[in-house]
Amino acid sequence: MGDRFELVIVGGGTAGWMCAAACAAKLDPVRFRVRLVESEEIGTVGVGEATLPQMKDFNDFLGLDEVEFMKATQASFKLGIEFVNWGCEGDRYIHPFGTFGRPIGEADFFSYWIRANRAGTAAPLFDYCFPIVTALQNRFMLPVGDGNDVRSAFAYAYHLDAFLYARYLRGWAEARGIERVEGRIVEVEQDNESGDIAAVKLASGTHVAGDMFVDCSGFRSLLLGQTLGVEIEDWSHWLPCDSAQAVPSVRSADFTPYTRSTRRTAGWQWRIPLQHRTGNGYVYSSADISDDEAAATLLANLDGEALADPRVLRFKAGKREQAWAKNCVGMGLAGGFLEPLESTSIYLVQMAIMHMLTLMPSERATDPALPSEFNRVMDVEYDRIRDFLILHYVANEADAPLWERVTAIDLPDTLAGKIERFRHRGYIEAYRDGLFGPPSWQAVFVGQGVEPAAADRLADVLPAATVNERLANLAATIADAAATLPSHADFIARYCPAPAP
Amino acid sequence: MQRVVVFGGGVAAAMAALAVGRAYARLGTDVTWIDTGEAPAPHAALIAPPDLATFHRLLGIDEAALVRHAAATVNMGQQFAGWSGGDHAFLHAYGDAGSPFASLPFVQHWTRARQAGLGVALEDFCLAAAAAKQGRTGAPREAATRQAVKQGWHLDAARYAKLLRAACKRADVRIVSCTSAAVRTGGDRIGRIVLADGAPVDADLFIDTHGALVASLDPDATSERPGFCDRIIRASAPAFDPLPLYSRVAAHAAGWLTLIPLSGRTAIEFAYDSKTLSDADAPAALATVLGRSVDTAPPAPLANSARARAWVGNVVAVGPAAGAAPPLDGAELLLLQLGIAQMVLLWPIDRAAMVEADIYNEELAGTRARVADFTAQHFRLNARIGEPFWDDARTTPISAELASKIDLFAARGMFAHFNHEAHVEDSWALVMAGHGVTPRSFDPQALLTEDQALMTEFQRQLRAVASDVHAMETHVDALRRMRG
Repeated sequence: MGDRFELVIVGGGTAGWMCAAACAAKLDPVRFRVRLVESEEIGTVGVGEATLPQMKDFNDFLGLDEVEFMKATQASFKLGIEFVNWGCEGDRYIHPFGTFGRPIGEADFFSYWIRANRAGTAAPLFDYCFPIVTALQNRFMLPVGDGNDVRSAFAYAYHLDAFLYARYLRGWAEARGIERVEGRIVEVEQDNESGDIAAVKLASGTHVAGDMFVDCSGFRSLLLGQTLGVEIEDWSHWLPCDSAQAVPSVRSADFTPYTRSTRRTAGWQWRIPLQHRTGNGYVYSSADISDDEAAATLLANLDGEALADPRVLRFKAGKREQAWAKNCVGMGLAGGFLEPLESTSIYLVQMAIMHMLTLMPSERATDPALPSEFNRVMDVEYDRIRDFLILHYVANEADAPLWERVTAIDLPDTLAGKIERFRHRGYIEAYRDGLFGPPSWQAVFVGQGVEPAAADRLADVLPAATVNERLANLAATIADAAATLPSHADFIARYCPAPAP
Repeated sequence: MQRVVVFGGGVAAAMAALAVGRAYARLGTDVTWIDTGEAPAPHAALIAPPDLATFHRLLGIDEAALVRHAAATVNMGQQFAGWSGGDHAFLHAYGDAGSPFASLPFVQHWTRARQAGLGVALEDFCLAAAAAKQGRTGAPREAATRQAVKQGWHLDAARYAKLLRAACKRADVRIVSCTSAAVRTGGDRIGRIVLADGAPVDADLFIDTHGALVASLDPDATSERPGFCDRIIRASAPAFDPLPLYSRVAAHAAGWLTLIPLSGRTAIEFAYDSKTLSDADAPAALATVLGRSVDTAPPAPLANSARARAWVGNVVAVGPAAGAAPPLDGAELLLLQLGIAQMVLLWPIDRAAMVEADIYNEELAGTRARVADFTAQHFRLNARIGEPFWDDARTTPISAELASKIDLFAARGMFAHFNHEAHVEDSWALVMAGHGVTPRSFDPQALLTEDQALMTEFQRQLRAVASDVHAMETHVDALRRMRG
């Protein structure tokens, strides 16, 4: 290898700085030169952000200190998402970061629960899940190490200020040799023969040339979409929400270790508690409500005083047909958008980064097997999340025009059949790659009123009395263990208090 | 499902009846096995992958019974000889292909070192491979490598079938011998089987390993897939001493020759392509390869067709009735076991509407395709250039999934995973590397390890493999211990 391989990251939002930090941690500076181009003139789409437990893996992969990171980003803990009014008006359930129950016999726990539930001897499914019971009492503690203790049986994520996270990672990455180039891009230069991106030209006249480019330019997708012409695969017929209004409010007394999503007439409202404020937003279908009405609805449903005017965001559900085309990888909003109903945005960036690192070309002529695999695995990620989001939409009462439409849509092939199979016998296909394993599907199905008519026959082998006794013991163990935990507010105040912003 | 009928003979029917009997007789299910009498072919042996050892626990079959009654020996892998032409051989061992370090799979570091001139093969870092080659097996206490060493079996097919049949009797399976029976269908279901003596047998669910039941509902639903060879000669030779821990698959101008070590004999399977070698010439060709003549059965056909749908109406086709398994890699028992286990898991809830059939057919079609890919790689990657049989085999079309797997491994030493994978990454790595694929590039994160540190780690791993092998027991000691 002669000169260093030049990697240029375009855009310095959360995606850009996550990517830069990972490159700083994992690429040998003797072989790779990594630069990030961003302009202070261009704002980022930083709202209160809810994440998934995989984010902790990413921070560990970088080697970040959790306490320092949480202080720097106003972060709080997250044990799951509470869904309010989903299924039917007045219903609520939590999709947890953990499994239901523990092994009882030869069948899986969920099958025993189906059996007991149909016999009328089971408590609600959610009582058999430690992180849910804990979350509903606004308590939190880090998992204990002992696998026999129910207090070990969960994972956690964070609520954080994504803008502060990007700023924190910027400092971290720059300290480790990532070069930041300030400037607004006015032109993208392509190689005449290959069509590869050759360089970006800044307003100052500077050229930033590279062997490979990472497009983190947000919705405008400057390189992947605008320059290389990679189209968006439009999923708005399945996921019709196309707008959001976001507003921060003062921190409320109800300091939840979970995100809340409340279904509304024309979409749904999020609530994300940070240490010194609460992030709120209303995701809606603009065909079903005006911006003004959406803003009014949002402001009328805060549990603290609004700290700003609502800010409008526009989007369309879908992903770029290829996330890696020519010598350019798109990530974050430049690669696709799925509404934040299951907090998947940062996860998708993280997956793109991890796959890009392992598949990074070693020379300018890219082996076609590398982008081909990258695109295949990213498609798997997007498809799985898309289907899971659609499930949230279809399993509802048709109680408003939007909900009449979405509950009657034609499902993607990959989702059709799943609902029927679950109703028949609680069957959920387990797959190796991609998000949302059986416990997540169980939570949403049962939470939104889709219940199985029967369980695996192997669950019938144990006598009913034995099953009932084990279920009762488990619920009691979980309740007792939850009661030993400190409140989320106290835990944060002791573990990682952030200064007021 | 109050009444279940298993229809067929041999290993498949016995294993299905035993699995269902053990799982559901407790719930009052009545299991009747109509034994149609097919027995394994003379001389036949089975290569059981490690998965079967786990399945045996559910079947209640212990290792002592296998060693005592099925001529079992320990199977730690398969050796492929001459697939690149010449004498080169490699071992697909059931274990880890080196120990991961610096948070990366070992194969990434190995690729980097190969590019820098390292001459050591991937399998030399594999404890299971090193142990098997030195005649050692079992798990070392206080292992230095922490590598997995998985063990399957080599089994005498006829004696294994008998052993399973005896276990069926103990599991309260009712066995009725009957060589011919009439099938009464109604719509898309089977209502009743009438035995030769006129006795009717009714059931809610029919498990068919024979093929007649599923064919009566779904007559033309089989398709051919590339099988490479269409004829087989089975034979026996005296047992090896010492007994190897792996079978050997040697490429031949007209096909391949598999030697399977059993207690008391070596089972031989000579598969060949009738376009390249005639039945008349095959026995002599076999004797030439072996350097002696052996006790041989006449040439027999080697089937290559499979059903698109194994579960139709209230009939589940299992084993040979579902389709012929790929001819290598222990695929026959692997697919049989997966087909039975999946059926037990998806045991139908409602005898009138079996929603499970669609799930089962999707799962099994996927599994069958991935298992077929594993075997197809040997033919795609063979390097016997200029031999017509092997040149054809190399250019036979492969699935898009296998093409992605080979391309990605060749490019980066990584694995394209699909649903229904039945073989682990390290098996793919050992086989592709064994067939001569050295990845062209590696994960750049490997460069964070200094050259000197990499060499030190390689030496450490090779020493750890050697010391672990030293602490393992010999094959003969292991068999003696298991026999009890």
